[in-house]
Amino acid sequence: MAGKLVVPGEIIAEGSKGGVNAYSEDGKIRSEVIGIVDEQKGRVIPLNGQYIPTAGDWVIGVVQDVKYAGCGVEIKSAYRAFILNKMTRIEFKMGDVVGATIERVDEARNIDLAEPRRLVGGEILVISAVKVPRVIGRANSMINMLITETGSEILVGRNGRIWIKGGKSALAVRAILTIEREAHTQGLTDRITELLKTG
Amino acid sequence: MVGGATTKELIVNGKRLDGRALDELRPIKIEASVLNKADGSAYVEWGKNKVIAGVFGPRECFPRRDVNPYRATLRCRYRMSPFATSDHGRSGPNRRSTELSKVIREAFEGVVLREQFPKTAIDVTVEVLQADGGTRCASLVAVSTALADAGIPMKDLVSAVAVGKINGKLALDLTGVEDNFGDSDIPVAITGRNKEIVLFQMDGVLLPEQISQALKMASAANEHIHALQVDALKLVYESKQAQGGARTGAASEED
Repeated sequence: MAGKLVVPGEIIAEGSKGGVNAYSEDGKIRSEVIGIVDEQKGRVIPLNGQYIPTAGDWVIGVVQDVKYAGCGVEIKSAYRAFILNKMTRIEFKMGDVVGATIERVDEARNIDLAEPRRLVGGEILVISAVKVPRVIGRANSMINMLITETGSEILVGRNGRIWIKGGKSALAVRAILTIEREAHTQGLTDRITELLKTG
Repeated sequence: MVGGATTKELIVNGKRLDGRALDELRPIKIEASVLNKADGSAYVEWGKNKVIAGVFGPRECFPRRDVNPYRATLRCRYRMSPFATSDHGRSGPNRRSTELSKVIREAFEGVVLREQFPKTAIDVTVEVLQADGGTRCASLVAVSTALADAGIPMKDLVSAVAVGKINGKLALDLTGVEDNFGDSDIPVAITGRNKEIVLFQMDGVLLPEQISQALKMASAANEHIHALQVDALKLVYESKQAQGGARTGAASEED
């Protein structure tokens, strides 16, 4: 599992087919980012970077402008998302926190959201988007453990925003920030289990 | 002094004024991830030069007239602090900083994979805290490291060094004094993997064969600088790794 740490331009393999965050040039595959090589899939897992909206992701956003046809939502990305009023019966107002699935991203990076819901109360924790898969864990193991141990309602947006309500929310925040800080290390699950038991 | 005669003895007994050989670099220290608020950052100490670079983005591009529908807009601001040189400078943009902002931006336009982020902006800021010749090269090295630290996809790291002519001889990495009293100065920035030249400027007078010789010297020195950049970037994550167990497949546990 432990992969090699690479920087942009560093050779990761021979071949002509670049994977995610890797490009091919003169028969060699090189990394585009600072990250860790996943040799099985021929890709590089980035250690830093902005959230890139992808269809199917569930994200948390804030309503920024309300128009006749719908409302624009800021999703911690370089691109603004849109909720069409005909997609929902909820009337959103400026400043509402919404959770929604990205339905489609077109070639001009216009983003349409589907199944929006208003998130009322609770608190929002912001972490780096590249660390989110670690918070969720393999087959949701990490997030399920956080929910059962803290008794909080936790919703994880793929864009790095995490909504926490009720329960031992302070403990949940502490655990998630630990996951973010130590995302690239081994034996993380054990340490988080320990933290949740003692905390 | 452009085209003028040398008015100062810069090479004594084969050594330069600071005791370096003609093909020797000044001591260089590079540190990545030094700022908390920037997405990526780097600090470079290069002899007496001190340069800090911060990178933001890709983020929403304002004003809208700067938006490019096909690729990210790269914006660069080079600024030299008024206290960076021995005589207190005036603050605010000037001819020099406008030029350097432009050449630094253009050096990276071909390296950063801007097509992956249409309609966005990547903002780069370089602050020169102390200057002693070769700040544009130090800035390029800092920006390159900061861009990689921000996780912005790029083809390669860029390293840069100046080669000049002092007392009629080619010398690597000119200091402020050598630049002022020397015959010529060529800053060169090249990519690490294929030695592609992304910045080439020159003032003064050189023979064609001296230029090709200067490029060879710059290319050799850039390999050393490139290695320093790689070390600085890797150190950021290796030190974090030392704090909490062995490194693993980062964020890949989802699937």
